[in-house]
Amino acid sequence: MSEFEPKIVAFVCNWCTYAGADLAGTSRTQYASNVRIVRFPCTGRIDFMLLMKAFENGADGVIVSGCHPNDCHYTSGNFHARRRWIVFRSILDLIGFDTDRITFSWVSAAEGKKWANLVDEVTDKIKAKGPFTDLDKLDGVQLKELYDEAITK
Amino acid sequence: MEIKTITSANIPVFFNNLVKSGKVVVAPVLKKSGKVFFESVQSYDQVSTDYIQTAFSAKSVVFPEVEELFSYTKKEDGDFEFRNDMSNVPETVIWGLRPCDSSAFNYLTDFFLKENPDTYFKLRKERTTLISVSCAKADAACFCTSVGLNPGNVTGSDILLTAMGDSYYVEISTEKGKSVIDTALFTDSTEKSKEEFLAKVETKFSMDEIRERIQTAYDSAEWKHESMGCLGCGACAFSCPTCTCFDIQDEGSQESGKRLRCWDACGFGQFTRHASGHNPKSNQTARRRQRLMHKFKYSVENFGIVSCVGCGRCIRVCPAHLNIFENILNVTKA
Amino acid sequence: MKLLQNKVAELFENGTINLMIGFKEALTKQPVPCFIEKASEIEQLIYTKDCKNNLSVYLHKPEVKQAGKIGILANIATLRALVQLTSENQFWDIEKTVLTVNDKEEVIVFSDMEEVEAYVQANFPEFSEEDLKLLDYLESLSREDRWKYWTEQFSACIKCYACRAVCPMCYCPQCTVECNQPQWIKTSAQTTGNLEWHIMRAMHLAGRCINCGECGRICPVGIPVHLLTVKMNQDLFKEFGTKSGFALKGDYALNSFKPDDKEGFIK
Repeated sequence: MSEFEPKIVAFVCNWCTYAGADLAGTSRTQYASNVRIVRFPCTGRIDFMLLMKAFENGADGVIVSGCHPNDCHYTSGNFHARRRWIVFRSILDLIGFDTDRITFSWVSAAEGKKWANLVDEVTDKIKAKGPFTDLDKLDGVQLKELYDEAITK
Repeated sequence: MEIKTITSANIPVFFNNLVKSGKVVVAPVLKKSGKVFFESVQSYDQVSTDYIQTAFSAKSVVFPEVEELFSYTKKEDGDFEFRNDMSNVPETVIWGLRPCDSSAFNYLTDFFLKENPDTYFKLRKERTTLISVSCAKADAACFCTSVGLNPGNVTGSDILLTAMGDSYYVEISTEKGKSVIDTALFTDSTEKSKEEFLAKVETKFSMDEIRERIQTAYDSAEWKHESMGCLGCGACAFSCPTCTCFDIQDEGSQESGKRLRCWDACGFGQFTRHASGHNPKSNQTARRRQRLMHKFKYSVENFGIVSCVGCGRCIRVCPAHLNIFENILNVTKA
Repeated sequence: MKLLQNKVAELFENGTINLMIGFKEALTKQPVPCFIEKASEIEQLIYTKDCKNNLSVYLHKPEVKQAGKIGILANIATLRALVQLTSENQFWDIEKTVLTVNDKEEVIVFSDMEEVEAYVQANFPEFSEEDLKLLDYLESLSREDRWKYWTEQFSACIKCYACRAVCPMCYCPQCTVECNQPQWIKTSAQTTGNLEWHIMRAMHLAGRCINCGECGRICPVGIPVHLLTVKMNQDLFKEFGTKSGFALKGDYALNSFKPDDKEGFIK
């Protein structure tokens, strides 16, 4: 069997991390090709539901990244985002969602190297964890298993 | 009607034999939250016997909250493959539903099968056997006697069990009922009066009086006051044994997906909202009125039955504690 | 009880209110919400420690708003909700008179929201011990067991939206679950969608939930949904020192920030 190649979705801000990823590209830095970048105006725009949807649609890991504190193009978008992630992570933790699969980071436009390393790191981590299957078996399973069980009994 | 008896000691044996025969047996189970729900069980030990009414009705066995109507997948040649596999719907026994609930199945059957029979319901209903247990206890929310039923009515049940001391009185109404009876465990019996073993359910109103007055109740000024507490959730409709409204939802993508039939509730603000934004039931008063009028007037016009069976679930479950029989009494006040 | 009824009768007589939202005893003997429009109905009004409903939710209801001048009998959770909702500018279109009954069974008629604010701050409720115990238990479990616990709970959810209906903070005319372009949350009551719904609800209440616990108390299937927001309220206080429903002025937790907010997970 071929090695598991995780699908990783990165939600990044336009001004810092996207530019940072661009820098990694133009500097021809090699990094894992598992990441799919989705560009947003600002981390403040990254709704937590987007993360949920990514996982629901087959992502194995998610990266959220934007400008370092005090560097936000819109002054405070990343500060708002930071509070949101603190709360969001704590709720996911309580529910028992595997928060290790979500990586938050600050990557500036000058940090092409940091971006490349981050993606490599996350890819390795998710590879080690294996595919995300927690959501796969939830829907309709009760009834179906029940019926299969009844038929084989 | 065939009448038999079974000793209380043999009830678990009968029950476990049903499970062993390969049927899915759905019975009341007490959950940690203190509420009793119908669930598929493997053994009689799991079954709750000390309950007045389950939190939700057993209608989900024949009319699931989410029913897959079909699913589709795009094939390599670009064509679609559709699947609609109902063959694995198992023979199911619903155990321990109350006589009000089994009567509700009569309404459900009329609703789904009378005109344009619904194939999904039909199949599920054909493969379902109802073994009801008469009520020995009732609470302030019970009012089956007001809608023409009683704690020991056989309507709708395939088999009705009534506890009489250390034995159960067994009334078998249908062939389906006969087919699940384990003859070794049952002995023939003569007709007896169940009265003293049944709960006393106070009559809150007389249907004869209501039937007249409900005709003009639509214009009652009381609706607004009576529905003031209604917050527009779907708890009453979802717990109701005779609420049948549903909504068709498509879930999936261009590659694969499914069409689902999901429960819906007339209390929701979006229930009647048109695509244009216009909503003929623009406020909660109108929505509450629709629900009550449907139960007591419209279903009588359409099917000849009052579709409220007096189980009292909507009263127990309502976050605002709206009381359906108080509402009905007040809007039909002379 | 007589004291309360007399006070309300007075308010009706001098035209301060023309609708009173309070409690009455139901046939089942529990206190339930009641709506008094006529002075003759005042006799049914009661107030006991078991009056748990958060009646402030009714102040969003068009039929109630129509009355214009509304009296509301509030328990401490309701008062907190009123403070929070006032800070969110929700009561610009009604005149409301707030009443409560304190520990000494005295009837208090607040003359303005500042008085309500002072009363709330002086009597600020603690987290319920029962909730904290359950939270401790959940936190003692492994992640996998917590996931099992909650997915089992949410698999029972039937999406009746009673949790949303009773919540005084859920007043959006159109909820995210009702949007279908894009469809953020599936309409069908299946576990993934249910899970997303409850996470979303908790997140949208972050910093606004006043911890009345109504959502969990009334859930028809008995899911302790309020634990999500209890945990969130705990965290918000621990991390940012914010309390919802505490002050009439000031931003709520997720509407504001400090440049030196601390976290330990952003790389």
